[in-house]
Amino acid sequence: MAKSKIKSNFKIKNHLNYILIGVVLVITFIMNSIGELGRLDRSTLVRISFSIILAVSLNLVVGFLGELSLGHAGFMCVGAYLGGYFVNVFSGFIDSPLLVYVISIMIGGLISAFFGLVIGIPALRLKGDYLAIATLAFGEIVRNIFKNIKFFGASQGLETKIYPEKEFFIITLITVIVVLILCQNLIRSKHGRAVTAIRDNEIAAKSMGINVTFYKLFIFIIAAFFAGVAGVIYAQCIGQVKQESFSYNYSIEILVMVVLGGMGSINGSIIAATIITYLNILLQNELSGPLASVKLVVYAIILIFAILFNNAPAFNNLKNKLSLKGNRKKSKEKDDEAEWNRIDTKIKMDEMLSYDLPNDDDVNSYSNSKEDN
Amino acid sequence: MKNLKKVIAVLVALTLIATCFAACSNKEEAAYFIGGTGPLTGPNQSYGNSVNNGAMLAVEEINAAGGLNGVPFKFEMKDDKASDVDAATGYDALMDDGMQISLGSVTSGSCEAFAKRAFEDNLFFITPSASQESVITDRPNAFRVCFGDPDQGILAAQKLTKDYEKIGCIYDTSDTYSSGIYAAFEGEMKNLNKEYEVRTFDAETKTDFSASVEALKDCDVIFLPIYYTEAGLVARACVDKGLKDIVLFGCDGLDGVAAQIDETVTNKISYITPFDVNSTDEKTANFVKNYETKYGSKPDQFAADGYDAVYVIFEAMKAANVNDVNISASDLCDLVVKEITADDFTYAGTTGEMKWDASGACTKVPVIVEINK
Amino acid sequence: MVTLLDGLSLGAIYALIALGYTMVYGIAKMLNFAHGDVIMVGAYAIFTVFSITGNPVIAFIVSIILCVVLGIVIEKLAYKPLRTASPLAVLITAIGVSNLLQGLAQLIFGTEPKSVIILNKLGSVEIADGIILNISTIVTLVLSAIIMIVLTLFIKKTKTGRAMLAVSEDKGAAQLMGVNVNKIIMITFAIGSALAAFASLFYLIKIPVSPSFGALPGIKAFAAAVIGGIGSIPGAMVGGILLGLVENICLSIDVIAPYTTSIEFGLLILILLVKPTGILGKKIREKV
Repeated sequence: MAKSKIKSNFKIKNHLNYILIGVVLVITFIMNSIGELGRLDRSTLVRISFSIILAVSLNLVVGFLGELSLGHAGFMCVGAYLGGYFVNVFSGFIDSPLLVYVISIMIGGLISAFFGLVIGIPALRLKGDYLAIATLAFGEIVRNIFKNIKFFGASQGLETKIYPEKEFFIITLITVIVVLILCQNLIRSKHGRAVTAIRDNEIAAKSMGINVTFYKLFIFIIAAFFAGVAGVIYAQCIGQVKQESFSYNYSIEILVMVVLGGMGSINGSIIAATIITYLNILLQNELSGPLASVKLVVYAIILIFAILFNNAPAFNNLKNKLSLKGNRKKSKEKDDEAEWNRIDTKIKMDEMLSYDLPNDDDVNSYSNSKEDN
Repeated sequence: MKNLKKVIAVLVALTLIATCFAACSNKEEAAYFIGGTGPLTGPNQSYGNSVNNGAMLAVEEINAAGGLNGVPFKFEMKDDKASDVDAATGYDALMDDGMQISLGSVTSGSCEAFAKRAFEDNLFFITPSASQESVITDRPNAFRVCFGDPDQGILAAQKLTKDYEKIGCIYDTSDTYSSGIYAAFEGEMKNLNKEYEVRTFDAETKTDFSASVEALKDCDVIFLPIYYTEAGLVARACVDKGLKDIVLFGCDGLDGVAAQIDETVTNKISYITPFDVNSTDEKTANFVKNYETKYGSKPDQFAADGYDAVYVIFEAMKAANVNDVNISASDLCDLVVKEITADDFTYAGTTGEMKWDASGACTKVPVIVEINK
Repeated sequence: MVTLLDGLSLGAIYALIALGYTMVYGIAKMLNFAHGDVIMVGAYAIFTVFSITGNPVIAFIVSIILCVVLGIVIEKLAYKPLRTASPLAVLITAIGVSNLLQGLAQLIFGTEPKSVIILNKLGSVEIADGIILNISTIVTLVLSAIIMIVLTLFIKKTKTGRAMLAVSEDKGAAQLMGVNVNKIIMITFAIGSALAAFASLFYLIKIPVSPSFGALPGIKAFAAAVIGGIGSIPGAMVGGILLGLVENICLSIDVIAPYTTSIEFGLLILILLVKPTGILGKKIREKV
């Protein structure tokens, strides 16, 4: 009896995030049907969708594998161009936009995944900062190459067919749910644990028999796949794919979402991606002009504070006071102390430790007296 | 930390909701709603602001003269920072607000994104300045006031071949305007069987032009289908290399280059433009005077284009006898297109005497302006 | 010939910036992503002071002072608290500082590029027939060479310089030997920022300043530092000059000019794969 109770509790808490998104989906669907949802709202939902997918996939690399990737927008770029191209091709002879979409995200994702492999291989040899720079370089190379390929429109960019605007947000929200299910199951499986083991101490993980090479490549490929999917959604939302939209600034913006949400926290990535995307659209639409620059400053300050707060030892006291977990930790320590106080040996030790050390004169007299004895 | 984050998330969400309500201001006065997007902030802000100013001036004049059958016009430009994503957002927001007819976008890339959506919704637009050919191709609802990129390229090729012996060219591969003009230039030069030297640059990597100018130092004229900022740099590079006799010839993007150079630049600089601010034509002179009174500076061709675009819409609507302020965008589009493509419809504006055909292209006579320091 | 010299002067700029990166990495063991934006701040300082006073020398001196102060402040506020934290955290903080500087610049100055036309008035000089050189290029090359020689002498001969070398070898041992590590790190940032101010002056001659002025040169200089061997001062000089030459040569060959960025970053990735410690770098063994 007790076992099944625990099991059902476990289930709801862990699947809360995509159930919530499902609820959002139903609500917005209803709102749309009765005409309460404007165009801007619909396109906002689509943009939030691919932002979530980007943030979650980057979190796999940064939060769970512990490697900094600054080229995530590069994978998105590949997916957007190639997936977009196939959208155009397939739209020519397939009538159902849904089918075109599904096929295109698969293709876009797979090609991006291939590039994930390409960047994953050198990643095996590089550590930390070096890897960050290599991924940054990769992103820029991808952009530079696409800029010069006439086949994809060179600087004019690639024109892609837009998904029928009224239903796209439903499709993308469903895509988000699928992606979340996949990612969370991955993280909770033994593969996910292997990955976090690598993050915590690679050499130790290797000595435990974890195939580090395989898992590193695996994570890069999966993250790239989802970034490619996000790219295809972008292509079908905006209708134009231009390499300048995928600069390292965008990679950093995704990284900000991941960091603010909490590295290693999928729910955090979802919330951060939603808020940041929404704020971006709000700022662009309602408050333009000099406030656009303020956004950059505010984001940067929040980012710096988030990191300092989380990592700097100086802030540890403040952190403990504010966090739920911290309070629990403190009370646990208090319990331990009470236990400890009851032990006899501790009292003896206290006595001994409170014994005053003799000063120099006494030492001399002590040794003298010893000698006398 | 988790607790604090949750609190912040809730606070942000509340602020967002509050801003939403605040932004929904309700001053509903029946008016025809002309919308558009353009870069009001960012590196291209001078273009967007010029068009905005010109258009607002036109709307004010029209309203002061009684509007259209007593109904005033309303104009709003959303900031798109010359990005296609923001242009799409701007389009959605404007449509939600009830836009009936539009000026499209100021920059070509954004206008392409705008045009895709406008085509789906059959919204008429006449862009003052987006010169990329694909914007109006295969779109019966799309028109423009300015020259197309190909027209300028061909015209430049013909003129330079006639007037100069050794021709050089520097263009920006990262920019669609520049590459578009160059492509036409290249084609026409091939037709005319004329050789020339070409160097490219990439505005994104902000290179200096010493290398390019060095390579073209033997040319009599350098064709610069680029924007005024880079043109100013090219001019300086020429002076640095001591190349005082080279002529610099450009297209409408060079408007504004005079502000970029100082008296050390003695080279002759000229460019194709539809608008001559010193013209003695009555309409133009009045426009310049009124613009200067209202905004404190002389208008550039973008302002003139915006001004003309609004008047063209007004004239077309007048000729079509539009008298329903709640007319739908699609119906309005059909009426206006019929009028504007009629054989006898012509508008003499500050940027020349213009006629349109079904392709959306504008036929008018270009002017060549010279800057001599 | 001119292309080579232009490339050398560009390389000198990259080298000066790369020196800042490499010294900070060697001594504080962190990648200062915000270094490129210190250059931008320096350039804006020159622009502002020059607009007010019209005197380029004062403008430049103010710019150096401002850069040095900025470097020290950033180190104290953003990097020092994280000295014991994971490198990932420091890297992200550096990115945050970089964005902050760019955002502030955008807020104060707007995004329109601003030119400072000073050294252009020096014009150019004809060396051999047909070969015309900008005087500014020559000035850049000569001054950079002097700076690098001075820096090398400083590191090798003075007590502070040797202390810096000691800290980069082994922080703990240096501390035991009585070196004030905090002060050394502060001096490192100060020197790096001063070099950045010089770089900003030379770069400003070529290109007008805007909020993203320092971002791309910063990344390229960082690539140069890695190529030459991060942590090694001669490495930064070699890497910077090499990258500048490569860039200019690629740009002058029309067929591959559009791919210049790819080639430069491709070179970086190549070095990272073949010899990750860079051309002049040393091997580091990792312990569990």
